[in-house]
Amino acid sequence: MSAPRTITLDVARKMIDAMIRYARDNRVLPGSFAVVDEGGHVIAAERRDNGLPATFDIAIDKAWTAATMKTSARVLEVITRGQGWRLNVKYGGRLTIIPGSVPVVSGNKVIGGIGHSGGSAEEDEAIAQAGLSAFYREDHIDFTGEDMLRSLRRIADAAISHVIEKKLRPVAITIVDEWGGWPVLIYRMDGGGPYGYIEASRDRAWTAAAFRVPSDAVVNEVGINYGVGWNERLTVTAGGVPFRLQAQCSQWVLPVIGLRMIRK
Amino acid sequence: MALLGVSVARELSQYNVSIAVIDRHNDVGLESTTTNHNLVCQGGDSLTFRPGTLHAELNVKSIPLWPKLADELGFPLRRIGGLWLIRDKADFRRYLRLYSRAFKSSLEPNAPYYIPEGSFQPPLEFVDRKRLLDMEPYITPSALGALHDPNLCITDPVKVAKALAENARANGVEFLLNQEVVRIERQGITYSIYTRQGLVIKSTFVVNAAGIEVDRIAEMVGARNFSIVPLKGTLTDFDEEVGRLISHEVHVLPRIEDMPHVKAVLPNIYGLARSGIYLELTYRSDRVVREEAVNHNIKVAKELFPEIPFEKHVVKSFIGFMAYTNADTGWHDFVVDIPDYVPNWVNIVLGPAGVSASPMLGKKVVELLMQSGLRLEPKRGGFDPRARRGGVQS
Repeated sequence: MSAPRTITLDVARKMIDAMIRYARDNRVLPGSFAVVDEGGHVIAAERRDNGLPATFDIAIDKAWTAATMKTSARVLEVITRGQGWRLNVKYGGRLTIIPGSVPVVSGNKVIGGIGHSGGSAEEDEAIAQAGLSAFYREDHIDFTGEDMLRSLRRIADAAISHVIEKKLRPVAITIVDEWGGWPVLIYRMDGGGPYGYIEASRDRAWTAAAFRVPSDAVVNEVGINYGVGWNERLTVTAGGVPFRLQAQCSQWVLPVIGLRMIRK
Repeated sequence: MALLGVSVARELSQYNVSIAVIDRHNDVGLESTTTNHNLVCQGGDSLTFRPGTLHAELNVKSIPLWPKLADELGFPLRRIGGLWLIRDKADFRRYLRLYSRAFKSSLEPNAPYYIPEGSFQPPLEFVDRKRLLDMEPYITPSALGALHDPNLCITDPVKVAKALAENARANGVEFLLNQEVVRIERQGITYSIYTRQGLVIKSTFVVNAAGIEVDRIAEMVGARNFSIVPLKGTLTDFDEEVGRLISHEVHVLPRIEDMPHVKAVLPNIYGLARSGIYLELTYRSDRVVREEAVNHNIKVAKELFPEIPFEKHVVKSFIGFMAYTNADTGWHDFVVDIPDYVPNWVNIVLGPAGVSASPMLGKKVVELLMQSGLRLEPKRGGFDPRARRGGVQS
């Protein structure tokens, strides 16, 4: 069997599993991992327990850079002779020419990108390469991530199972932490779910985390309805659900799941 | 076990250590060793590898070791020379850079191709179309000239692997064939290697030279500090009738539209002609020879030698896998390394140009093992570089 020509959620998760494994084996500080499609839109992104919140978006932006520039940041760094940062004025600063991003090539065509943020430039690059290597692995790669991420994965899996069981349209799922509404996990289901769902789910998750009520209850229960503009993330439509999770690390946290579901 | 594994085993057999080679196949040289161009970089091409890389270091240092090894072990090594065709100014400019790099390297006093003052014999030379036609009468009319590497050799890597294995066995190395490693446990600096066939091997030092499976073996003890992708190559052989019309390795630089495939034609040691390589990234289990790949190889051969009817002389096409590092940048390099967090463990990834580098690889591994605390002293009974003991195959 030849390698797949697209990146599915399962494949993206496997790539992240391999990256986490590589990072742990090589004692790299906890960071974030992102796998995006050809257009640079997230398929799966995760942050390890105790990973710096800011690394999440950096990892996504690195993966976006690899997918849209169709090359590795290491190459961009060399061909721009270290002046690539000047390009940052473009695309709202998304273009990230720091090693740690690798394009996914299948059938001699770029079909996505991988990004890692959290280590040194060399470590980030090596971890992203481990993700690419996993794309061409058929065997199972054990998830070696920490307890919190493991628990959050189970929650996301339960949501995905629900969608499949009820034959709903594919959704995007975001789980954010309680402290700043920073994402810990984003999954986009296969089956043609529009990439707009990613940001929609992320906004609802942020809203639910920020006010600790379901996103559609913010107006009635908290009494906040400033409309669009005061905060770009505030979304008071249904889909954001707060929940409590008792992790094995004996700490109470409040991650939030944001679902964007449309019934058929 | 690929060529690199037996090469390391043979080198280690010179010392007072107990060595076992574990292989899942019932013979040596059955994987990547069987499927490559059969080239041995012996000349300027080695000097053109990116300086400072292990890829360049091991290849260049292997140059003087090959003739000695061929003499000791009696395997065929034929100097055919290589021609890198020049079709336009862009090709010439690129080759000029390679030429000057090779030339500079050869001026270093400790270089294998050191040119003493007064005897100018460059490892690479430019030839014009007239001389090119003398060398290859059927060459494409689009070739204006070529960069000639007179020292390029061909061999049969399987014969080399078997000879090395038999010599290693004669010098005390044990071969455990038909043993597939499924689990490795580490207790301090003792490794227990479990095979699917029920064997448990305990060892203080492990050299992981598992070829295309090297990453999976390393992961068993958390020793993976590199990443590889499996690069599948398809080659096509043509019969002797065509083989006798070609006497050099001939290749052209691939254009953007040809990427990532290699465009080369050469004779092999048995008089056949070989063309390829059609390259693709895919799963390791994808061992199918695709029609598209074969057509590509025939097209390449026709492009370089338009008058020769290659399509009527196809003998066989076959595939092989190379472990490719830095696939995202294309800057492949070797890995011969002890991971930071796993002691007494050596990972080896060679990939392209691995056959050429194999003689020096053993010496590099010995150096690493000594650095990591293994006391290696020459064997009391002595090492016989020519001894052979057959029956490596189970």
